Amino acid sequence: MNRILRNPWIYSIMIIPTLALYTLFFIYPMATSSYYAFTDWNGLNQASFVGLDNFIRVFSDKDFINAIYNNFIFIGFSIFIQVPLIILFALLISSVKRFQGIYKTTVFIPSILSTSVIGILWGFILHPNIGPVNQFLSLFGIEPIFWLAESKWAMVSILVVNAWQWMGFYIVLVLAAILALPKEMNEAAEIDGATGIQRALYITVPLIKPIISVVVMLSIAGAMRVVDIVLVMTKGGPVGATEVMASYLVNEAMGVNPSYGVGTAISLIIFAFALVLTGIYQATFGKTKE
Amino acid sequence: MKKVLLTVIMLVLVSTAVLTACGSNSSNNQSNSNNSNKSSNNSSKATTGPDNSAPSEEKVEPFTISLRHTQIGESQKFRKAILDDVVAKTEGDVPGLTIELEGVEDEVNRFTKLPAEMAAGNPPMIFDIFGGEGDALKYGEAGRLLDVAPILDELGLSDKFLNLDQFTVDGKVYGLPIGGNTEGFFYNEELFAQLGLSEPTTLAELENAAQVLTDNGYTAFAMGSKGAWVPLMLVNTLIGRYAGPEAINGLASGDVKWNSPEVIAAFTKYSEWVEKGYFTKGELGFEYADMLNEFVTGKAGMMFDGSWRASVFKDETQAGALTNKVSFFPMPAVDGGKGDQTYVNGNYSNGYGFSSNLNEQQLVAVKAFIKNMYSDEMQLRGLLEDGVLPSIKLSGDATSKVEDKVVNKVIQVMGKSGGAFSHFDSTVKSEVYKESEDAILKLITKHETPQSVADILQAVQDRQ
Repeated sequence: MNRILRNPWIYSIMIIPTLALYTLFFIYPMATSSYYAFTDWNGLNQASFVGLDNFIRVFSDKDFINAIYNNFIFIGFSIFIQVPLIILFALLISSVKRFQGIYKTTVFIPSILSTSVIGILWGFILHPNIGPVNQFLSLFGIEPIFWLAESKWAMVSILVVNAWQWMGFYIVLVLAAILALPKEMNEAAEIDGATGIQRALYITVPLIKPIISVVVMLSIAGAMRVVDIVLVMTKGGPVGATEVMASYLVNEAMGVNPSYGVGTAISLIIFAFALVLTGIYQATFGKTKE
Repeated sequence: MKKVLLTVIMLVLVSTAVLTACGSNSSNNQSNSNNSNKSSNNSSKATTGPDNSAPSEEKVEPFTISLRHTQIGESQKFRKAILDDVVAKTEGDVPGLTIELEGVEDEVNRFTKLPAEMAAGNPPMIFDIFGGEGDALKYGEAGRLLDVAPILDELGLSDKFLNLDQFTVDGKVYGLPIGGNTEGFFYNEELFAQLGLSEPTTLAELENAAQVLTDNGYTAFAMGSKGAWVPLMLVNTLIGRYAGPEAINGLASGDVKWNSPEVIAAFTKYSEWVEKGYFTKGELGFEYADMLNEFVTGKAGMMFDGSWRASVFKDETQAGALTNKVSFFPMPAVDGGKGDQTYVNGNYSNGYGFSSNLNEQQLVAVKAFIKNMYSDEMQLRGLLEDGVLPSIKLSGDATSKVEDKVVNKVIQVMGKSGGAFSHFDSTVKSEVYKESEDAILKLITKHETPQSVADILQAVQDRQ
């Protein structure tokens, strides 16, 4: 049997189905996408080569530039607000002695809900007339706020809802790392007189830096491809206030006057952005070993 | 020896897996497409078919056709009931036929599912479609839609349709409108009476009513602009008034410029009403359905919408306290407006299209569907039960049977009009229409001015 498995032909035969499926479902779509990005294909006509026209058209559209800007807002919010909050909540839950399981489950629940459900749920919560948020604010005499219909509030609303959906998942990741740390160091520091905050900042956080690095990288990648919550809640509106690259792609590739050529060009741009940003992060802040 | 045996076994296994994965159900399709020839050979299957009541001695092979409709939700229940009856009748007429219904939300069907299916070449066999350049005509020219002109000839329906313009190109007919409609203002009669307002007949009266409603804490015009096509209905009618009825086709042909003073006047009027706060506050966050909710709950005095909404106001489950307390009037004439100011917006644009990829058996089913759906009986039911104006010529006394007061008012309005102009979404190129959707939202949020909106649209038109 061992001799048979040493035969390279047998190996080749065994990996052919996997390679075939990989080619069919990954290589082929990627290759055709790359090809269609340079054509004017709209799904009905014969695709003809247009060079870089699709890329030029996309980058000369100020709505797309605005979408890129919004993606960076997502990234900034994820890194500078979401990640610190994730660490804070993870530290708090890890130091809780009783009902830790309940807290863990509670924060994790939003991440197992479907985005459509979350969109509808928050659509109701943020409803200008009957939503509990505005009902509460009205107790203080605040006029109804159109959370999803006014440009200045729509992006904030989406960021908060997106954070609410995904923070629990990352909190559980960080919490697992914290709970896996040896207790001796914390106990020794406590005996030496270190306060809880000092222990968290100077012992726990540095020790979980690798998992924080992973969380940051996943947040960047997630922020680059965010789309579902945007489509469900605002469809990129009002007037592009919450438009991100992927929702711009959906609106260009589908909807009124669909253009699959432009759509695939945008998908390549998103891919390139995500690759470069995660690459930069990995090469700089994400380095865990010298 | 063992090695060879193992190699052979592995080869057989792998080949089987690959061939199974790469196989298709073409053999099934083949048998399906040829099943009319084989129908007498398979008596056991035929007995499980849906049409056992068929008196024919000859056994028939069951077959199905897919039908995509958009009659979902409470407000579409009358239209859905008519469709169900047509489907049942068609299944009865064609032995072995089962029609598989699929209900999809209107916008999802028009802008998401159908374009993707047209690209892939696998649309349903019968489906809801809009006429015009961006929909039926585009798909028809790409060879995806069945030309129904020969079927209309065969069924004697060629001269029965009131207007097939939005489905016709070069003598080919790529769909059939289910009804006609006009767009105008629905208003809350009780609220108007309470505020001492009468039905507006001039633009000044309309604006006065809007101002009085606003001053009294009501929304003058209920509006849900999350979908840009909703405010564009009103913009379209304003263009028809300021730039004249011919302008709608003129915009498509280039004879009328988007940035001509008359078209800009239409955008300016819309912008002025936005400025005065006549529309729903936060309209960009509300869907089309929300607009109706605002109106039927008495928070808004008027709503600009299509006559297809008429049936809602006779149904207590939908209209609530507003049942039978709504009336309708067209956009009044405007000062300095070009052309005949009695024209109304009139469309025969929404209906059914049919896939060009049908076998003979399916074609028979499609013919039966057309015969049943576009019959005098069903069209009259559409008018009486659903309040949708017929798309075919009915006998003279048909309209006299209408008891619904809103529908009667709509018929009166159309009767008094000098003619009808269509919606520019069915005349201009898709690129221009798409830009108009962006532009109107920017006008509402004051990101653009009437002049800049008009210039942007003209620039896109010039590129076509």
